[in-house]
Amino acid sequence: MAHELRLTGERLTGELVAKVEELSGENLYACFQCGKCSAGCLFADHMDLLPSQVLRLVQLGDEDVLSAQAPWVCASCLACAVRCPKGVDIAKVMEAIRLISLRKGEPHLSPRALAKEERLPQIALVGAFRKMTP
Amino acid sequence: MKRIPYFPGCGLKDQARGFELAALAAMERLGYELAELPRWNCCGTVYSLASDDLMRHLAPIRNLIRVQELGESRLVTLCSMCFGTLKRSAQFVEEDSERLATINAFMDEEDDYQGGVEVLHLLAVLRDEVGYEAIEEAVERPLEGLKVAPYYGCMLLRPRGLGVDDPDHPRVMEELLSALGAEVVDHPYKVECCGSYLTAGRADVVEARVAAIAGAAVQRGADLIATSCPLCQFNLDTRLSQAAGRRGTPSIPSVYFTQLLALALGADPHLGEQAIDPRPVLAARGFLSEVRG
Repeated sequence: MAHELRLTGERLTGELVAKVEELSGENLYACFQCGKCSAGCLFADHMDLLPSQVLRLVQLGDEDVLSAQAPWVCASCLACAVRCPKGVDIAKVMEAIRLISLRKGEPHLSPRALAKEERLPQIALVGAFRKMTP
Repeated sequence: MKRIPYFPGCGLKDQARGFELAALAAMERLGYELAELPRWNCCGTVYSLASDDLMRHLAPIRNLIRVQELGESRLVTLCSMCFGTLKRSAQFVEEDSERLATINAFMDEEDDYQGGVEVLHLLAVLRDEVGYEAIEEAVERPLEGLKVAPYYGCMLLRPRGLGVDDPDHPRVMEELLSALGAEVVDHPYKVECCGSYLTAGRADVVEARVAAIAGAAVQRGADLIATSCPLCQFNLDTRLSQAAGRRGTPSIPSVYFTQLLALALGADPHLGEQAIDPRPVLAARGFLSEVRG
């Protein structure tokens, strides 16, 4: 995803950074963009932004990150979280971004999308709907 | 017979019956009764990663209250997802008494949760309490010649410090399989996620994941993959079988580790639920004729 960065002091002290920090409980500025999370992410090749890029956009207060698909492709497997050399739990940052849109009432999974499934176990349904619907 | 309170979760009462039945039969042979927790409820499946989402911790904490009501202090699970949510929620309230007070205040009918219930995965009980020596002694039919690729997935090992073993270099499943006499097939995807709940809505992503995992196991000569989670099992079995036929998609059966344990101990492994049937390879290696119920 080509992206134009516009840096302003207002963004850095803006609502997005504060909200993600509060929801995730993580220090976003501990990340120094080494990219280890992206290198080890099993889902990176299905994402429009790499996990480290998601984190960077949040650091910069760029609200475009809220419309990225990457957080919805993240399966919360925590591979990034155990590998981050700075101890940033990126999975919690992904969760915070998902929650910002879920708490506006925007679902990211519809039962209609599963109409063709013959049989999905409850564990999959409960997990997916808890993660992707308000 | 020693008794440990046991939390089954939804999968083990539905598509993963074999996981539970094999575990109950095998543990009985080792002198343990897995005593199903009275009035258990869904664990919530996925742990909330948000700092403020206390509501999501009610379901796991309510289960821990059931353990407390029994006068017990531990709870064993078989499913990795249940293990993850129960263990992490227990920790979440343990580290902050205000959170616990809020959750307790919300629940009217239950006694307050006092904390202190230890959540264990059966693999840890087999390692730390039963012990591999005792398991080896109880083996009636060593799984000699059977090549098994362990698959851990995510919630059994992560986050660091709460999983059953080292998140990067786990040994617990390898050691159990060795105690059963099986040949362990190491492979680079054993701790890498199968796609988890993305299977609802993003089957394409999951199919790519499980093809990579199965491919690594097949390439290294494994007969079977051993799992500890009904969701990993669904993805590695049903989703893999659905992807079959596409160029390069490997095929290998997956079974729960409890089914291999039961098989080696001479109990019924309760096979037969899998989309990719493990029985032909087990029969070819000479393991199925000697099974008794």
